[in-house]
Amino acid sequence: MASVHDQMAAAGKVKRSKDLPQGVERLKEEHRKVVKDCRSQIEHWKKVENDYESLQERLRTLPDKLSYDIMVPFGPLAFMPGKLVHTNELTVLLGDNWFAKCSAKQADALVEHRKKHVKNTLDDLQKVMKNFQNRADFTDDLEKLTGDTGDFVDIREEVINEEEVTKGKHRLAHKANSKPKQVYLLELEEDKEKKEGDDERTTGVLSEEELWARLDELERQEELQDERYRLDSTDTNGEDTTSSSEEEKEADGGSDVQVNGHQKENGWLPTSITSQMNGTNGSHPEDEEEEDCDEEAGNGLPTIYFSHTAEFKKVRINTGKNTTLKFSERNEQKAQAKRKKKSGKSNGHSPHESYKITSPADIYRVFVDLVNGEPIPRKSILKSRSRENSMCSDTSESSTADFEERRAAFGRSWSHDDATHSDTSDGITEEESPTGTSPRTNGRFEAFTGTVIEKDPLPCSIPHLTIAPPALPTIPERKLEEVGPEAPQEPPKRMSKFKATQLHQK
Amino acid sequence: MAEAIHKKLQSELEKYQQMQKDVSKSMSSRQKLEAQLTENNIVKEELALLDSQNTVYKLIGPVLVKQDLDEAKATVSKRLEYINGEIQRYESLLKEMERKSEQHREVLSSLQQEYQRAQGQAVGKV
Repeated sequence: MASVHDQMAAAGKVKRSKDLPQGVERLKEEHRKVVKDCRSQIEHWKKVENDYESLQERLRTLPDKLSYDIMVPFGPLAFMPGKLVHTNELTVLLGDNWFAKCSAKQADALVEHRKKHVKNTLDDLQKVMKNFQNRADFTDDLEKLTGDTGDFVDIREEVINEEEVTKGKHRLAHKANSKPKQVYLLELEEDKEKKEGDDERTTGVLSEEELWARLDELERQEELQDERYRLDSTDTNGEDTTSSSEEEKEADGGSDVQVNGHQKENGWLPTSITSQMNGTNGSHPEDEEEEDCDEEAGNGLPTIYFSHTAEFKKVRINTGKNTTLKFSERNEQKAQAKRKKKSGKSNGHSPHESYKITSPADIYRVFVDLVNGEPIPRKSILKSRSRENSMCSDTSESSTADFEERRAAFGRSWSHDDATHSDTSDGITEEESPTGTSPRTNGRFEAFTGTVIEKDPLPCSIPHLTIAPPALPTIPERKLEEVGPEAPQEPPKRMSKFKATQLHQK
Repeated sequence: MAEAIHKKLQSELEKYQQMQKDVSKSMSSRQKLEAQLTENNIVKEELALLDSQNTVYKLIGPVLVKQDLDEAKATVSKRLEYINGEIQRYESLLKEMERKSEQHREVLSSLQQEYQRAQGQAVGKV
């Protein structure tokens, strides 16, 4: 019986290697064989070429003399003296039993022609050899990879939602002066829409009084949203795992598995990330990619899963330092908040969280406070009406887009129960921001305290890493300092600012 | 039961091996033809390099027979065409044989499975 099986195996059945190493070994062996064959063949053809060279030499010198005195081979063992005559008449074998009589020069031409063929063959062999050599090297590397013996790390990006990839809006060139105006316009339009929606007024122009009243109303709405965001943000910070696990349940895909393994408690390497962030922030990256922790992900290879984030917004402090914040992260937080709400989670709301900065999103909130005399509390950190006054102004190119996005996302997050994608929200900005669009500030934006919060990338391939750059801490620190004393009074302060400006104007 | 299957397996195996041999034979003859093809191509080109002043000989057995240059060229071209046709034929033949051997392989594997099952059953029965 056994012999039958062996014969079966030998009779052309595919050899199934039990282990990967065996297969790899065999593959390498085959590669090596091919390479060796190529080498020997190349040797052979090189010899042929050399022979032809020497033949050509002989042909050139042969017609010099009418006859040569030579030792003629006489059988296998003897020579005898003789003469070589008709030195210019050669009978050349053309191949396949064909002969031709020609002169030395013609023979030379023929030899030249044959040498060309040999050269071609040699080139082909060289190419094949190189090819297989590369393959052998590659299998070597592959073996190393799978064996975890090398320094290779597999970096994968699982693109869940292809929509996220194209974010054209973010690529808007930054025009210094254009945005404030745009903002103004948008705000007015928004207000107009709301007004028309709410009060059914058809007047296109709002009086100042009405405007202020409207702004107050929006401010109040924003307060509510801030509280909600704060609530959610604290939840997010504290319960990232659960939220992410929820999100994982919502979404599907193998990346979830990996993300699960990389919860922030587990493999998340804040230090490494921060160090990475240090480096990257110093160079003002447009897009930051977050690394999930390196873990053996079951494929025997250290794998880093990351997902692209939307491009960073650069928040520049007037000191000239640049820091980057992820815009989409904010959206993601909003989305998370929404999701959490959707899932029925209601967490204890800690009202004192307003000044606590736990995520870069909080910075936005914080930043708003720093913008002096802003009639509209929700200013993109990006943009400040008066650049001189604002503590930080956004220098990213996409601030307008981001602004719109934020507004849209904001509105959407509260008005719709769909999962919000930063991109999708882009498309819906104006039409679908019925609530709380003008107040931009989300309470979710907390200053970064140095801890990295891992976000689940799934629903909208949102970046994991919240920034933890060394540069950033300065901002949050400052903000903390500033916000600290301010924070408790923040809501009222905003009001007061508003009121102040209102009164001022009056 | 198992014995019968075993016998069938053996016969199928032999047939399969035979097929494999045929396949390899065709392969080798095809390779020979390919070599001849390249050679005749070279001859054709070299004949083109010559002019009618040189005499062309063909080796037929131990005899070098004089040939006309044009005749030689024509002969070589005809031979080339013949070789090409042969190669085509062998190609189709090879494909056919591959297909058949594939079928045989499947039959063999199924038989083997059956046999193993039968063996297992036999063991169980016993």
